[in-house]
Amino acid sequence: MDFQESDEHRALRSAVAALAAKYGHEYWVEKARSGEKTTELWAEAGRLGYLGVAVPEEYGGGGGGITELSIVCEELAAGGCPLLLLVVSPAIAATVIARSGTPEQRGTWLPGFADGSVRMSFAITEPDAGSNSHRITTTARRDGDGWRLTGRKVFISGVDETDTTLVVSRLADSRTGKLRPAMFLVPNDAPGVEYQPIPMEFTSPERQFTMFFDDARLPEESLVGGEDAGLAALFAGLNPERITVAAYACGIGRYAVSKGAAYAGSRSVWGRPIGAHQAVAHPLAKAHIEVDLASLATRRAAWAYDADDPATGEYANSAKYAAAEAAIGAVDAAVQAHGGNGMTSEYGVGTLWGAVRAARIAPVSREMILNFVAQHTLGLDRSY
Amino acid sequence: MNIVVLVKQVPDTNSERRLTDSDHTLDRASADVVLDEINERAVEEALRLQEAHGGEVTVVTMGPDSATDALRKALSMGADKAVHLSDAALHGSDAVQTARALAKVIGTVEGVDLVLAGNEATDGRMGAVPAMVAEVLGLPALTHARKVEVDGSTVRVERETDEGVAFVEAALPALVSVGEKINEPRYPSFKGIMAAKKKPVTTLGLADAGIDAAEVGLANAATTVVEAAPKPPRSGGQKVEDAGDGGVRIAEFLAAQKLI
Ligand SMILES: Cc1cc2nc3c(=O)[nH]c(=O)nc-3n(C[C@H](O)[C@H](O)[C@H](O)COP(=O)(O)OP(=O)(O)OC[C@H]3O[C@@H](n4cnc5c(N)ncnc54)[C@H](O)[C@@H]3O)c2cc1C
Ligand SMILES: Cc1cc2nc3c(=O)[nH]c(=O)nc-3n(C[C@H](O)[C@H](O)[C@H](O)COP(=O)(O)OP(=O)(O)OC[C@H]3O[C@@H](n4cnc5c(N)ncnc54)[C@H](O)[C@@H]3O)c2cc1C
Repeated sequence: MDFQESDEHRALRSAVAALAAKYGHEYWVEKARSGEKTTELWAEAGRLGYLGVAVPEEYGGGGGGITELSIVCEELAAGGCPLLLLVVSPAIAATVIARSGTPEQRGTWLPGFADGSVRMSFAITEPDAGSNSHRITTTARRDGDGWRLTGRKVFISGVDETDTTLVVSRLADSRTGKLRPAMFLVPNDAPGVEYQPIPMEFTSPERQFTMFFDDARLPEESLVGGEDAGLAALFAGLNPERITVAAYACGIGRYAVSKGAAYAGSRSVWGRPIGAHQAVAHPLAKAHIEVDLASLATRRAAWAYDADDPATGEYANSAKYAAAEAAIGAVDAAVQAHGGNGMTSEYGVGTLWGAVRAARIAPVSREMILNFVAQHTLGLDRSY
Repeated sequence: MNIVVLVKQVPDTNSERRLTDSDHTLDRASADVVLDEINERAVEEALRLQEAHGGEVTVVTMGPDSATDALRKALSMGADKAVHLSDAALHGSDAVQTARALAKVIGTVEGVDLVLAGNEATDGRMGAVPAMVAEVLGLPALTHARKVEVDGSTVRVERETDEGVAFVEAALPALVSVGEKINEPRYPSFKGIMAAKKKPVTTLGLADAGIDAAEVGLANAATTVVEAAPKPPRSGGQKVEDAGDGGVRIAEFLAAQKLI
């Protein structure tokens, strides 16, 4: 067993870290506050091939996998610039299209994912079918040589900065008439598509939206993978989403621990640094260990995904769980170490509270992960 | 146009840098080591010149095994190949010995038109090696460049030092050392990182480079570090409490220091 990362992975880490350092947390906060987007960072990361690390080489991508994409995600976050759209656009949408798209869909979309010029949102959550995605009701029906889509989605990230949304819906099987999952590539400006921002209580350059599809007319080629792609196409994208969210949370955790430690080492109110008190030092040390463990779990999950290992689902869930919990602990410890400054904008730690808190809820909640592990790993009765 | 860039791996300026107690040479184990930032700029300049004039960019380093990482970084930025002079006997070499050794290594690269270097490394801060290499190779040395242009067989440089800016030129082949202001180095792209893995790195020992072991190393160095002491911690300084006259007192302080 070898825990040493390859030279290339270390080089990628340090290159992405250097890019993140150029922008920094203040840039990210400023964008979030002003309602602007992290366009410059996104574009530069795209040009350097960091956003397209996992896109196949034949489409201009890096030919790597979720391992490399997780490194990019973690290092940007560790530099104070966690990008939620990374989790959605390259991790889910690009993976789904690369794995399950038709040859035409791959040719149309993947080159844009390779250089970051294509950004896509992903919509699965519905008002009446949150954690229970089996209950979604957004439905597509045949309409001549295309489709009509009707339904409603909530909490869809980044719709105002993407052109297209990958929408999970149901499709009436032409033979049996039964409804089964299908994914559509829906232009955000298509007639019959509307979206509205949801006021959210957290600092983030990416916003969440409610989306409405009112008999939206879609062309034939908008159905991902054609009529037979089905559930496998969807699952191809959900594990990368969990793994990259885990990487995102680990990165924020690292950022918070290092900010907390730096502050505790320099702030002195009793004649020596507050970090000399175990009440301040221990929570930071604990957070460091927990973030580090979560990061190991994340690497394992990414490795399993890239190796098509059958345990990927469990590993991805564990990583997402561990990373969200560790990151919440890390931000909390860093805020506490900062005292009142922890809650100011200037010190840039309280700003991450919402981002890590969201990681406990999305894309799959802590409780649903525990349900999964209780049932599938421990063999206990299904509780829901 | 074939360009050689001299690069050095140095302790990260953000980490604590120390000399070893035993022989007062750099303690490489105690700090993170990175490609010196000024060398990133030299590599960047070489790549820009290559984009305009073609040819090959070779990066050359003298240093321990770990210095391969610095070469890989330069290769991932886009340099074509690398030569690594690595030999235990080189440990503790002074500036003159280093310059002689590097000159030998440059001699192993074919058809060199231009040698680029940083004007000083952030660890030793001698700032002497580039000019010494030029001297050994019999090349014109254009140091402290903030701008470099090649036109046919002429290299033109804007040379910036504390004394001011000078416009100098020389016929190729020549050596140019670059300053901090020359450019903003690129970040290695993911493709660059992956490609670097496959680029040739030639590792040379003393014998391969035709260097006599008696000419290099700590024991044969012309300079010796006799003693080293850590920099004393910064003293508290002088605090000015503002009781309405703060501005005036700061001005008085600065005037007393002859700063205003
Ligand atoms: C910042 C943010 C960004 C998001 N971005 C996107 C996006 O881009 N695209 C998208 O499709 N969605 C997105 N979401 C939605 C997210 O995936 C959902 O919020 C999440 O899946 C939970 O669904 P819900 O909000 O409907 O909660 P509910 O399903 O209503 O659950 C509410 C609470 O009850 C718990 N619970 C529910 N069922 C059970 C059970 N059986 N056992 C135990 N506990 C249970 C849950 O764990 C949760 O704590 C985003 C959410 C957030 C906060
Ligand atoms: C929302 C808000 C409203 C406020 N309103 C007011 C107000 O109206 N009036 C007012 O005067 N102040 C106010 N404050 C300031 C508040 O009282 C201080 O933030 C608080 O006393 C902590 O001081 P500090 O921020 O300087 O933290 P520090 O003293 O720097 O402490 C930083 C961290 O180190 C820990 N620490 C410090 N010393 C030790 C030790 N010896 N052993 C173990 N741990 C230690 C602290 O517990 C804390 O976690 C407010 C703060 C906030 C956040």
